Amino acid sequence: MSGPASSSPPAVSVHGLERAFKGGIKAVDGLDLEVREGEVYGFLGPNGAGKTTTVRILVTLLKPTAGEARVAGFDVVSQADAVRRNIGVALQEAAIDPLMTGRELLRMQGALHGMKGAQARSRAEELLDRVGLTDAGGRRVGQYSGGMRRRLDLAMALVHRPKVLFLDEPTTGLDPTSRSALWREVRSLNDDGTTVFLTTQYLEEAEQLADRVGIIAGGSLVAEGTPAELKAHVGEPTLHVDLAPESDVAAARVALSAVGPLVDCQDDARVAIRAARGKATVPLAIRALDEAGIAVESVEVESPTLDDVFAAVTGSTLEGATQGASADQAEVPA
Amino acid sequence: MSTSTDSPAGRSGSRSGGTNSPAGGVAWAFWLRSLNEVTRVRGALIGTSIAPLVFLLGTSGQFGRLVGLPGFPTDSYLSWIIPLCCLQGAGFAGAAAGANLARDIEQGWFDRLLVAPVARPLLVLGPVLGAITRSMVPVTLVLIVGVLIGGEVTGGVLGIVALYVASAGFCTVAAMWAIAIAVHFRTQQAGPLMQMSVFLGVFLSTAYTPQPLLKGWLEDVARVNPVSHILELARQSTVSGIDLSLAHTWPGLVALAALVAVFGALAMIGLRRMGR
Ligand SMILES: Nc1ncnc2c1ncn2[C@@H]1O[C@H](COP(=O)(O)OP(=O)(O)O)[C@@H](O)[C@H]1O
Ligand SMILES: [Mg+2]
Repeated sequence: MSGPASSSPPAVSVHGLERAFKGGIKAVDGLDLEVREGEVYGFLGPNGAGKTTTVRILVTLLKPTAGEARVAGFDVVSQADAVRRNIGVALQEAAIDPLMTGRELLRMQGALHGMKGAQARSRAEELLDRVGLTDAGGRRVGQYSGGMRRRLDLAMALVHRPKVLFLDEPTTGLDPTSRSALWREVRSLNDDGTTVFLTTQYLEEAEQLADRVGIIAGGSLVAEGTPAELKAHVGEPTLHVDLAPESDVAAARVALSAVGPLVDCQDDARVAIRAARGKATVPLAIRALDEAGIAVESVEVESPTLDDVFAAVTGSTLEGATQGASADQAEVPA
Repeated sequence: MSTSTDSPAGRSGSRSGGTNSPAGGVAWAFWLRSLNEVTRVRGALIGTSIAPLVFLLGTSGQFGRLVGLPGFPTDSYLSWIIPLCCLQGAGFAGAAAGANLARDIEQGWFDRLLVAPVARPLLVLGPVLGAITRSMVPVTLVLIVGVLIGGEVTGGVLGIVALYVASAGFCTVAAMWAIAIAVHFRTQQAGPLMQMSVFLGVFLSTAYTPQPLLKGWLEDVARVNPVSHILELARQSTVSGIDLSLAHTWPGLVALAALVAVFGALAMIGLRRMGR
C-alpha cells in the first residue's frame, strides 16, 4: 500500500460535501474523504446510499450544494476543465451510442481528448487489444453483450491515460467471468500508477480490489479502513456442517469444537463453528468429522456480507439503512 | 506546479492544466457521429423529407388559384411555397437535433461528452452542424421536385444561394431553440414542443400569404415575426416579384443572426445550469 506522498496533492479530497435535491433529499450529507495517489479506493454502500451522486460531483457533472471537493489537485467547481483533463469516467448508467462501432467510439473519445487522427487511431487499437475487443472493434456497439460494453466503457475512460479513474458500479449485473476479467484489468491499471475510485455494492469486490474501503450510508461515511480492518469489525466467517440423517450430533459438536469455537445453531442436524481462516477451514472440519466416523451431507462457509458490515457499523440492517437514508429520521438521544 | 512524471497523465505528455481540446478535431468528431443518424438509421430521412414534399404537392394543388388575388408577387403559387417548404424541412431537421439531444441526455450518452475536456459551446455546435448537414436533403429534394412540377428559378444561382443560406440559417435557429428546450427539460417528451414551435413560427408569418393580403392580428404578428424576413430572403430564388436585391437580403440575415444569438445564448445558459 502506498503511503501519502508529501509532494503531490491527494488524488481526491472531499470536505463537508453536501448535495440536496429538490424535495429536500440530501443524497450526500457531510461527506469527508481522501484518496491518495496510486490507491484503489472502494466506495461501498447499498442502493441509494449516495455513491453515484458523489461520483457525479467528483467528475464535474453535478454541483455540490455545500462543501468542497478537489480531484487531482483541482477544484471540481471552479477548475472543472482541469479536472476533466485528468480523469477517466465510466458511469453507472451511461448509454453508448449503439450506431457506432467500438473502434469509432474510441477514436471519437481520442478526438474529444485532443488527439490527432493517427494518434487516436493507434491508441484505439491499443485499447481494443487491451480489453480483448480487437475482433469486435468493427461491430456496432448495439450488438455487444453486457460484458463487452463494460470493457469498452473502461477502454473509453482510458483513452487519455487519466490520472484518476472513476468507476461507478463497474460490475453490477455482470456474470462472474466478465467480473473477474474487469477486476484483472483494474488491478493492472492500478499497477501502472492509475488511482482508482470505485463504487460497489459488493463487499467481495471491495475486498478484491481496494486498498482502502469507505462505507457510505445515508450520504455520509460510516466506516473507513482497509478490508482487513473492516472485517475485523464484522467478525469471522462461519462454517456450517449439515450432518447425514441419524448422525451423532453431540459427537460432531465435540469433533468440530477442536477446529473452531462452536456457534449456536437452530437446526438439529446442523453444527456451526467460527472459521477464522474461511474456506481453508473446510478440509480441517471434514477430516475431524471423518476421523470421528461421522457422515456429512454438506459443508458451507458463510462469509460476512455487506449486510453484516452494516449491522456492525450502523447497528441496523442494510434494508434499514436504505430506509433511513430516504426518510429523515430523528436522531436517537444518547 | 510540477506533477510527478510517473503519473499516467504525465507519461502521455498531456497537459495537466485546464486547456480544452482543439475545437476543430472535436467539432469534426461530433459531425462524423451526427452523420450516422442519416447513414445508419434505415428510413431516417423519410420523415423529414416526405413531410415537406407532401406539403408542397398538397398545397400547390389546393391553393393554386390564390395567386389570382392582387398583392401576390408571383403568378405561380408553387413558386411561392417552394421556399416555404424548404424552410419547413430545414426547420424540422433542426428540431430533430434537439430531440436527439434530449434522447442523448436522457440515456446518459451526453454525460460522456460533458466529462470530456471540451469547450462547452462545442457541445451545442456539434448537433447544430449535424442538423445543417441533414437539412440539405429535404431542402434539395423539395427544390428539385418543385422545379420538376413547374416551379421556376427566377433568382438564378444567387437566388439558390439565398435559399440555401436561409434554409441552413433557419435550421440553425430551430436547432438552437430545440437544444435550449432539450437542456432545460432533459426529456424526450419535450420533442413535440420543439416541432410545434417550428410549425407555429412558420405559420404565423407570411408563409402562405403575402403581407398585403393578411388581415387582423395575423397581419401584426407576421409583420414582427422574423421568420417573414427569412422567408423573404429565401423567396428571392423562385418568386418573380421578389427580385434579387440587398433590400430583400439583409432583413433576413439580421433576423437569422438575432435569433441565433438569442437561442444560442438560451442553449448555453441551459447547458451551464445542467449540473445544478
Ligand atoms: N436527480 C435526483 N433527484 C432527486 N433525488 C435524487 C436524484 N439523484 C439521486 N437522488 C436520490 O439520492 C439518493 C442517493 O442516490 P444515488 O447517489 O444514486 O445512490 P447510489 O448510487 O448509492 O445507489 C437516493 O435516495 C436517490 O433517490
Ligand atoms: Mg449508483
